[in-house]
Amino acid sequence: MRTLKQRKTRAWIFQAIVLLSTVGLTVSFVVIARQNLLSQGIATGFGFLERSTGWPINFALIEITARSPYWRMLLAGLFNTLLVGFLGLAFATFLGIFIGTIRISSNLILNIIGTVYVEIFRNVPLILQAIFWYAILTHLPSPKQAIPLGDFGFLSNRGLILPALDLSMADVYLLLIATAIALYAAIRMQRAGPELARLAMPLPALAFLGVFVLLLFIGRTPDAPLMTLPELRGLRFVGGVSIKPEFTALLIAITVFGGAYIGEIVRGGFLSVDKGKIEAARALGLSAFRINQLVRIPLAIRAMLPALANQYVWLMKATTIGIAIGFPDYFMVVSTAINQSGQTMELIALLMAGFLLINYSIGHAMNRLNTRLAIKGKAA
Amino acid sequence: MSRNLILGLSAAVLTAGLAAPALADAGDTIKTIVDRGTLRCTGHNGSYLGFAEVDDAGKWTGFDIEFCKALATAILGSPESLQIIPVSWAQRFPALQSGDIDVIIKVTGWTMSRDTELGLQFSRPYFIGPTNILTRTELGAETAADLEGGVFCINAGTSIERIVADYMGARGIQYEALNFEKAEELRSALYGGRCDALAGFGPFLAATRFNAPNPDDFVIMDEVLALEPEAIATRQGDDNFVDVINWMVSGLLMAEENGITQANVDEIRANPPSASVERLLGVSPGMGDRLGLSNDWVYNVIKAVGNYGEIYERTVGQDSPYKLPRGKNHLWSDGGLLYSLVLD
Repeated sequence: MRTLKQRKTRAWIFQAIVLLSTVGLTVSFVVIARQNLLSQGIATGFGFLERSTGWPINFALIEITARSPYWRMLLAGLFNTLLVGFLGLAFATFLGIFIGTIRISSNLILNIIGTVYVEIFRNVPLILQAIFWYAILTHLPSPKQAIPLGDFGFLSNRGLILPALDLSMADVYLLLIATAIALYAAIRMQRAGPELARLAMPLPALAFLGVFVLLLFIGRTPDAPLMTLPELRGLRFVGGVSIKPEFTALLIAITVFGGAYIGEIVRGGFLSVDKGKIEAARALGLSAFRINQLVRIPLAIRAMLPALANQYVWLMKATTIGIAIGFPDYFMVVSTAINQSGQTMELIALLMAGFLLINYSIGHAMNRLNTRLAIKGKAA
Repeated sequence: MSRNLILGLSAAVLTAGLAAPALADAGDTIKTIVDRGTLRCTGHNGSYLGFAEVDDAGKWTGFDIEFCKALATAILGSPESLQIIPVSWAQRFPALQSGDIDVIIKVTGWTMSRDTELGLQFSRPYFIGPTNILTRTELGAETAADLEGGVFCINAGTSIERIVADYMGARGIQYEALNFEKAEELRSALYGGRCDALAGFGPFLAATRFNAPNPDDFVIMDEVLALEPEAIATRQGDDNFVDVINWMVSGLLMAEENGITQANVDEIRANPPSASVERLLGVSPGMGDRLGLSNDWVYNVIKAVGNYGEIYERTVGQDSPYKLPRGKNHLWSDGGLLYSLVLD
């Protein structure tokens, strides 16, 4: 009885009750759903993932045909989401920093441009923006009247067609691995001490370039040209690499929309820096550049990070807009798979698990960054 | 952190559990409909031209809608006792299983996986859907092979995706599939020139061509990629409901075979030419009591929507803007594939 009166013990008991009932509820939902489906004669389980889909998609980072199994199709969709999501996040961040900066600049014209930009793109729904950019891109001329870009590429309503290096998919994977190793090496060298830090940029970069050139010469089919140039044959361009308008439209929409929000976060971050600290730095005789570098930017970034993490998670979820303009992202692929296989519950669970994984990772990474950048001893 | 993960995961599973529909019992659909006083039938999220169109007053018309009206009339006696629930292609099966709708009349192909794995029961086909290719006139293509390397716009999540993949794969024709979830976006992509061709049901293609800024820019190729029997889907295990639907389709065809139309049904009922017409229109018993309906239900249906041919011509055929030839949807006696069951 006495132990019950202790606050700590009671707290533990409450926690345990909440946890148990949550798990219990979850399990009962799953069991009930399963029973109901069985009684309706609906096949359950994940066996369908091994079956071939019977339908292709037109944009994938891994090879996809109508004979590919469902798991591969879902993986292709997930990669598409990650590709458009991370590129979108990166571009939106650059754009946001630019917009945020001109919004607080003392130049009146830049200021007005920034304000107008934010007001327009923040207030128009993302789906409308995606459809708008897609409409513009698909109203370019047809392949036969494609706009030539120098002697190399073509711009048409089938997308932007550019010359491609003759690398196989395996080479691209090797390059990705090489990039990761080079980045890791650069970070380790930076930390190893001032001696190595000087070489942190050039050395891994050189090694990476070496791998690239090596692959270019031995990784391709013998006697094939170094580069394939696109050429119109019949209804399509043969050779080169094509960037589809669906992808471009979604990327532009996410960049422009996210840029407006991130711009406001950046502006808020800079405005939150205490005036007194800047004045103190000025009193120490620091130059304007050093004030920015040592005081304003570090403090501003700390203020921006939590809001930015939120925004990143939000933008990643916003890639699902792709379904409106025919971009086969994870959501679209799952949606089509639901219709084709009828395994609604399983696929919805996979859809949620996929986005949970992506967004949890983003949140986790941002939290770690936040902890590392937090002022020691101040923030928990 | 890890507790957050567990909480997040359980929330996800929890939501999945909640998404499990409050399942409607199969077997008493007709009783449910009668108790409710309305039939809940499928519409579309938007307009699927010719089959389920909604106007700005929220009024539904189209081939499938007429069948919904016919079914409502058969069971409840009036085409007004009908609620059209707008559902997307993807929503139609979960919506049926959860009891949000009573029946799917939504150009739904009778496929093996739907029949066996989704817990659906199909009626006899009420429409034969040919899959054709609509292409730009300027390309001058006459067969699918002429479209080698072209971009095909396709409605995502429909059986057309597979039909095209099989057809082109078997013939070694390369193509690029661009899939859209909604018909409106599919159309604007075609009109805008994003795709060289649109593969789909003949009726849908006819409507697409009709709605083009300049219909002459597009042509429907004669090549038939596949014939898909479209059937009415119900929940598995409600035999009586399926019987009613089969005989409803049959009744509409039988009326056409016997020359019974919306205009002359009263006249023929007053003066039936044969014993089977007498039974069909409920002058003598047999048509309704054996199904648990009123004996004059076919009369009510014909009075409300007309016979099969009238429905066809009014919604998608010659009296509609789409002018879709009846083709295989003629009665067998006129060269089509449709026939009625035997009324004895």
